[in-house]
Amino acid sequence: MEHLLYIGTLIAVWTIVALAANLVIGYTGMMSMGQAAYLGVGAYVTATLNILLGVNFYLALLIGSIITAVVGAITLLPLLRIGGFYFALATLGINFVFFDFFHNLAPRVEGSEGLYGLQLPDLLASSAPRFATTVAVAIACALLCQAIVTSPLGRALRATRDRPDALAALGKDPRRYQVLIWTFAAGLTGLAGGLYAATLFYIDPTLFTLDASILVLVYIGVGGLASTTGSVLGVILLIAFNESLRFLGLPSQFVGPFQQAIYGLLLILLMIFRRRGLVGKYDFTE
Amino acid sequence: MTILLQVLSTGVGLAGYYALIAVGFALIFGTLRIFHVAHGTVFMIAGYAFFSLHRLLGVNVFASAVVGVFCAVVAGLAIDKIVYGPVLRRGGGMFAVFIASLGAALIVEAGFLAWSKGVVSVARTGMLDTFIVGGVAFRAFDFVIFAFVAAAFGALYLWLHRTSTGLEVRGLTDNAYLAAVVGVNVRRTRYAIFLIASALAGLAGVLVAYDTGLEPSIGFKMLFIGVVAVILGGVRNILLGTVVGATCLGVLTAFAGFLFPEWNSFTIFLIMIVLIIIRPQGILG
Repeated sequence: MEHLLYIGTLIAVWTIVALAANLVIGYTGMMSMGQAAYLGVGAYVTATLNILLGVNFYLALLIGSIITAVVGAITLLPLLRIGGFYFALATLGINFVFFDFFHNLAPRVEGSEGLYGLQLPDLLASSAPRFATTVAVAIACALLCQAIVTSPLGRALRATRDRPDALAALGKDPRRYQVLIWTFAAGLTGLAGGLYAATLFYIDPTLFTLDASILVLVYIGVGGLASTTGSVLGVILLIAFNESLRFLGLPSQFVGPFQQAIYGLLLILLMIFRRRGLVGKYDFTE
Repeated sequence: MTILLQVLSTGVGLAGYYALIAVGFALIFGTLRIFHVAHGTVFMIAGYAFFSLHRLLGVNVFASAVVGVFCAVVAGLAIDKIVYGPVLRRGGGMFAVFIASLGAALIVEAGFLAWSKGVVSVARTGMLDTFIVGGVAFRAFDFVIFAFVAAAFGALYLWLHRTSTGLEVRGLTDNAYLAAVVGVNVRRTRYAIFLIASALAGLAGVLVAYDTGLEPSIGFKMLFIGVVAVILGGVRNILLGTVVGATCLGVLTAFAGFLFPEWNSFTIFLIMIVLIIIRPQGILG
């Protein structure tokens, strides 16, 4: 039961990450391959404030999200000049850079590679209330994202993806929407990062490598781009599938690589047979 | 002054690897518009094949190197045939190919992770020879790299500018549609491009495996570096652009590695950002 609640909490956390990624990748068409960097910033800022400076967890979470949003905006600005593949690759570069940052500069608890010892409030301290809280936050995020994409702003975002020239002709700067949604998504991912730290109790730089960014890509790719339902569905299905791999009885050192190979295969098969994923509304046909 | 020259010599050595990766990537991207993420994987396959033959099974260096390059060629052609072909036939755009390529890279990397558990391994025993001229230590191996790179680029130049396939490749770079209209056999040219690009990446893989060793994530890292080198040099002139880009990047990373050794990817990324801001079309673009 304890383990099921833990899995459920993880699903909720990753759902928030996937929702944010879908806003930028699916709706706005900005190919981000470095979402794990923002997840890491959120997790590290929250954990550092809480563990080393003794800040209340909720406040730390809020500050973590805001700082991540600011970091997101700052890292996006130089990338706005490039498009397409180069943009995707540059975001991958952001991921490498932040890994360097976490690895070389991030604070750590004496005698370990990372941070632990969070002072969690009652709502997050034990597994059952933590599950309820993160699920509630994830549902709130899903509703918020759904509200955004069905609003005029959502239409402007899709126009930024599909017809940036038309948007510019109407006197609206596509870049403004790109910066706006990127910042918002980074903030959301930062929030998820703080909750991720609360779920795992321990964070270290290896959690925020390229692998995590690709995981996000697989989640929203399977669920479907430009679909809130897709983000939720992709995360639930794949994490459940991943957990079911335990019953195969593979030796533990093969579980990670096996999972990675399955995800790689999924990406290829999706691109060949069903580019819009399960319930997506957008695919990569140019 | 001596230190400056020392770092410069290290940088030129690095530039050789970067150039071999970058030129193949530029060849594929410039002609077929395929963003070949798995190019780094092809590089890595050659390195691992060379490592296991030479170091683990004790096969002769040259035989292992040839087999390594051969494995790279087979892998490159197979990825094009099995992964890119079906995606394109079913109407996938270039971004779909990009994601599928990422998938292929992940699968191979997973294989090496399962096999080697991330161990960094050098495919040789003992130190490499160095000799000292005027206080600067040169590695004999850097001259080997240089000879290979010079030979590879010389052959590439002849291929691109003296053969009919080369003419077709250059035609595809300028205007793919027009090239097909005037009767360029795109299928055959595509085959030649993947073969040659993969062989060059394989050569780099063998050399790196012998020199600094391998780890499963090196494929992505090398690809990233190669692409930055291509962006640095510009895609208009494949050969000169990659040589210039790779040399600049090699020297810059060597200096940065000397000054701030812990910040390797940060430096590469920073160089790319600065370049994109001041000169988005590349140094020669």
